[in-house]
Amino acid sequence: MSQATLRVQKISGHSGSVPGQDAQREFTVCKLIDTTTCIGCKACEVACMEWNDLPFGETVFDNTYQTMPETRWNYWNLILFNEHEKEDGSLMWLMRKNQCMHCAEPGCLAACPADGAIVQYTNGIVDFQQANCIGCGYCITGCPFDIPKMNPKTNRVFKCTLCSDRVSEGLEPACIKSCPTGCLHFGSKDDMKDLAEKRAKQLREHYNFPQAGVYDPAGVGGTGVVYVLHDATKPELYGGLPADPHVPWSVKLWKGPLKWLGNVAMVGGLIGLCVHYLRYGPKDRDDERVDSEGGKS
Amino acid sequence: MSSSGHVLPQGRILRYAFRERLTHWIAAGSYTYLMLTGLAFWSPWCFWLAFILGGGQVSRMLHPWVGLIFTVAILKMYSMWAAQMRSTAADKSWWGSIGHYIRNEDEKMPAAGRYNPGQKLLFWGFLSCGILLFLTGIILWIPEYIPWNLRFLRYVAVLIHPAAALLTIALFLVHVYMSVFAERGAFGSIVRGDVSLAFAKRYHPAWYEEITGQTAPPKK
Amino acid sequence: MTNGWIDIKNTDMMLIMGGNPAENHPCGFKWAVEAKRTRNAKMIVVDPRFTRTASVADLFCQIRAGSDIAFLGGLIHYAIENNRIAKDYLLNYTNAAFVVKDGFKLPEDGLYSGFDAATQTYDKSTWNYEEGGDVSGKGPVRAAAAKTVLGKDGKPAPPHLPENVAYDLTLKHTQCVFQLLRKQYSRYTPEMVERITGAPKEQFLKIADMFTSVRKDGDMKKVATIIYAVGWTQHTSGTQTIRTAAMLQLLLGDVGRSGGGVNALRGHSNIQGATDLAGIYEILPGYLKVPVPTDTDFKTYLERITPKASKPHIWDSWNYWSNTPKFAVSFMKSMYGDAATKQNDWAFHYLPKVDRNYSWTYIWDNMYRGTVKGLFAFGMNGVAIGPDSNKNIEALKKADWLVVGEIYPDETSEFWKSPGITTDEMKKIQTTVYRLPCAGFAEKDGTFVNSARWLQWKNAALPPPGDAKVDQEILARIFLKVREMYQKDGGTFPDPILHASWSYTNPLNPALAEVAKEINGKAYADLKDDKTGQEVKAGQQLPGYSWLKDDGTTSSGNWLYCGSFTEAGNLMARRGTEDPSGLGIYPNWAFSWPANRRVMYNRASCDLQGKPWDSTRKQVWWNEASAKWAGNDVPDFKPDSNPKDHMGPFIMNPEGVGRLFVPIGAVADGPFPEHYEPIEGPVENPLHPQQSNNPIVKKFTTDADKYGTAKDYDIVCTTYRLTEHYHYWTKNNPMNVQLVPEPFIEVPAELADKLGIRGGEMLKVTSARASYQAKAMVTKRIKGMTIDGKKTFQIGIPIHWGYRGISEDEGRTAKTAANLLSPTVIDPNAWTPEFKGFLVKVEKV
Repeated sequence: MSQATLRVQKISGHSGSVPGQDAQREFTVCKLIDTTTCIGCKACEVACMEWNDLPFGETVFDNTYQTMPETRWNYWNLILFNEHEKEDGSLMWLMRKNQCMHCAEPGCLAACPADGAIVQYTNGIVDFQQANCIGCGYCITGCPFDIPKMNPKTNRVFKCTLCSDRVSEGLEPACIKSCPTGCLHFGSKDDMKDLAEKRAKQLREHYNFPQAGVYDPAGVGGTGVVYVLHDATKPELYGGLPADPHVPWSVKLWKGPLKWLGNVAMVGGLIGLCVHYLRYGPKDRDDERVDSEGGKS
Repeated sequence: MSSSGHVLPQGRILRYAFRERLTHWIAAGSYTYLMLTGLAFWSPWCFWLAFILGGGQVSRMLHPWVGLIFTVAILKMYSMWAAQMRSTAADKSWWGSIGHYIRNEDEKMPAAGRYNPGQKLLFWGFLSCGILLFLTGIILWIPEYIPWNLRFLRYVAVLIHPAAALLTIALFLVHVYMSVFAERGAFGSIVRGDVSLAFAKRYHPAWYEEITGQTAPPKK
Repeated sequence: MTNGWIDIKNTDMMLIMGGNPAENHPCGFKWAVEAKRTRNAKMIVVDPRFTRTASVADLFCQIRAGSDIAFLGGLIHYAIENNRIAKDYLLNYTNAAFVVKDGFKLPEDGLYSGFDAATQTYDKSTWNYEEGGDVSGKGPVRAAAAKTVLGKDGKPAPPHLPENVAYDLTLKHTQCVFQLLRKQYSRYTPEMVERITGAPKEQFLKIADMFTSVRKDGDMKKVATIIYAVGWTQHTSGTQTIRTAAMLQLLLGDVGRSGGGVNALRGHSNIQGATDLAGIYEILPGYLKVPVPTDTDFKTYLERITPKASKPHIWDSWNYWSNTPKFAVSFMKSMYGDAATKQNDWAFHYLPKVDRNYSWTYIWDNMYRGTVKGLFAFGMNGVAIGPDSNKNIEALKKADWLVVGEIYPDETSEFWKSPGITTDEMKKIQTTVYRLPCAGFAEKDGTFVNSARWLQWKNAALPPPGDAKVDQEILARIFLKVREMYQKDGGTFPDPILHASWSYTNPLNPALAEVAKEINGKAYADLKDDKTGQEVKAGQQLPGYSWLKDDGTTSSGNWLYCGSFTEAGNLMARRGTEDPSGLGIYPNWAFSWPANRRVMYNRASCDLQGKPWDSTRKQVWWNEASAKWAGNDVPDFKPDSNPKDHMGPFIMNPEGVGRLFVPIGAVADGPFPEHYEPIEGPVENPLHPQQSNNPIVKKFTTDADKYGTAKDYDIVCTTYRLTEHYHYWTKNNPMNVQLVPEPFIEVPAELADKLGIRGGEMLKVTSARASYQAKAMVTKRIKGMTIDGKKTFQIGIPIHWGYRGISEDEGRTAKTAANLLSPTVIDPNAWTPEFKGFLVKVEKV
């Protein structure tokens, strides 16, 4: 990875400063997925596997066009297929490309205890460094989108990298490159948001989708992957896209107040005990030690 | 405990039988490892501990297994000691006089039995936290197998596990301080098993009385 | 395609029917999405299933497989009755005003005039225009007592089109095409559409309103396109379905226009190329008709196949096929070089004279009957393709030999160990099978001709592995061996083989670039264009088909490809990305036949004066100053024909105009399309129950050919492909297998409830021919429907599996092919089997 373009702004399990912190960066990158023009062709799935050299895995028929029930450690990009019957009886076949959302406030990174196992570059990409991963799986708990997946053989966690290797060389991610309908776009967050809002407006004004909107949840600080949805009020229809995702409250509590309380308590306790010893010393004075042979009674 | 609590020759009392000492040290050893690796996972400031202990991957791999050993050890302790750890009426007044205890004015304390209420607290504290750590630890061991719709279990676990661990650390600190620094002889007892009659008389007068049939003489 | 893939981006309205481009043409489908995104275009999808395409449509309507003509006929009815038609276009660019012969009868009872029940054929003499000029305001033209014109052989001469057609520009004449059309489709009311197709009336009306809205209030600016694929062709009414679409587009004035047209999506990378180069037995390259036994000499042949202009005398018609002799002589020169001379009738007698039907199903039928003894199967898997895989397997058992050129072992080359065969049976099979490893598409250069008629040159990415060889080397080696044997041993008629032109640098492995140059054609003498002064020297590549001559001074393997490989080089390899007009014409990208033209019949994009109907989509226009047609695209018209001369824009028709009514024999089953039930239909035809099926469709008659009825088989079954797989190849590729690991059957949730089936459970589907087993995919995307009052269900089966492949080897399939089920019965015009819309019954296993 080219370090020149991929400066790190957040590091998991890290004490001290971060190289890219406060570094100036013109924009963060963003992937736009327009679910209203996705045809579920799976070109992105194949491109992801091929670019990232992911090994083939077994799948079984599961009464759906969906390749597998959920992403895997070696399958980072999966289109979710959902049949939805509208109130008027008409059918919608919703297809949503699911992968890491590259949150601005990544729950995985917050939860990760291993120094440098998860980093966030200044361009917004959240990347796992498997060399540093200890396999604790806290990222799995930290993620509100159920994305990180453990390789059970190596005990290391994997997920979409937003093709950080390609992006660092000025290329778009492999999935974007492969999309035949142009439902995927890649660019700066501002540009993508703008494009997404325009598309949502078009859907509201010219097509029969009065609830069309953009999915860029504030609960995780916004995401590096934004969706255009036919009905932004019901993201759950799209294979359980959370309406208001947050880093789990317990992870926040744990990595926030509890951590400081605990540290203070531990250090305070140690100091307290030392002070106690200095002030009172052992319970038996040296002249009346009770632990010697026979003791003194 | 049938094997402890009798007077040995040379005026010493067997306080901990071998089984008890072994169990204690299994628990102590595993706990120390758990605490150190746990601290490594707890804070980046402590992550160096993981390197010392063989690296993050190894620490993460062994931590749950050692946790199982610790769990077994504390369950064994439960079976050995639970009966003696029951709270008694006298315990309440002991807690009332805790200030004397802290100021090393043990003679002003109500007579303690084999275990004083502080030790009982340690026991019950470790036992209950140990069980919590075990239960939440199982979840944290295999988070990838917890179904998405049961994810609240993971959320609860990540909070309970460190919280419980912190409580045990507090108990642990006091325990080590008391046994190594404050009550000289206590450390020897968990190593060799016996204590002097004076030790028993001073720190556990009721117990002393029970095993010798004498009332502990008043302090000078 | 009349238009092209990219041109779809210019449309305002799409009707996608009989095709599932999102599934089968995802890359081309980007332009449909583009039209939605950039023009707010609307997309209507009509299909037996809610498909991937339907998932991005604005309106979807489910219809019964095989009922498309009824739906389209309903749209024609709606457009006419609501005056949503392009009046000027209709009058001037179609044969709406032409008057049809008096004896012509519409098929109210299911039969057109002239039907002979004994032979199941039509006497088409009444399917013709009346002779006689302007008849507006007059009653029916009383033709003079029919004179029987005798041909040279003493038999009545075949009917021909009148030179001076009777017409009524008021369109009021009862026998004029427009009034006949109106009458024909007056029976296709929304109620009738609902009875036949199962599409609820309200839904049909919604779609009809939306689609025809491009001609609201007579406005000509907007354009609608119709996009289809084999969902239309694979029926016994396939050709007529496409004709109905063409008629609708002519009514709406959408043909020839950017964003309009009737657009066939070709299902293989080079199927268009295969068709252009005589992929079917009855044509020679460039759609020249194949000689028949009565073509006793070249002159007779040319007379038969060269049409004469037929039009109202006040109009002009270019009748471009009048150049047929030039194309044919040039073709003969290309085939036989110097051995084709004027003296020997350009070696015409070397060509085989085709005496009967040799189309796909007949090859297998004849093999089954024992008259075809051997088969070369290259790049196609006949057993899996079907129809009726078992019949094809049985046919191969009777053959003497089989040569399979493939990149994988396939069902066809292993027919002798198809599932269920016993060792004893296997021992009895005497067919010698030769399996030749071939090169895959990435291992050879050459061209793909896409749906948009682009000849795109490609390079080989890597050499073929092991002993695998490119197709041309295999074919060349066989040819040269055969020629050697003829040279040595003589034979009944060695000349066509001995004299065939084979002037390649490496005769054993001709370079495809050389073949491409040969197809383009060259000059045999110095040529000069008197108008422009341009010259082509002897031996030089021809710049285009307008240079072709019928005197033996030019050659061209396919006149349509002439201009693709000129002295300027290989134009098919061009990759220019300039698009000055913004219409997606990209004139310097590859080569688009004919003449690098991107939208055919583009003269029709202008009004009578030669001005574009829509000034924002200017394709071509009449330039008064230079007295020539100019354009962003290459004008598909006589370059100097002044609009005042009223030359028709449909230059390939002798009439010069688009055909709402198809005269004489161009279509075998009727001048106007009529809805006929599939051979295996779930109901009797509601229009005329006594004539339910297409009257001229013949069932096959071997003991293998069985046809079911609704009494025994109550469910309509259709077959299709998935985007994750490519025919019967990708089941050998782990990547594709991971995406869709095993075969399945799509079943409506309502039917599944009735049968007590849950998703993933094994289902057995049985047709009159065989059974097929796979897991059920229970879905809301297919719904039960009411057909003529009868509750009817449809199921769908993707075709990609058989008995050779990863899933098959792992035992994840029932080791069967979907086409075990399909019937051997074909469209009477294009000979395409009815793979879609046959009857089955379904049981839980």
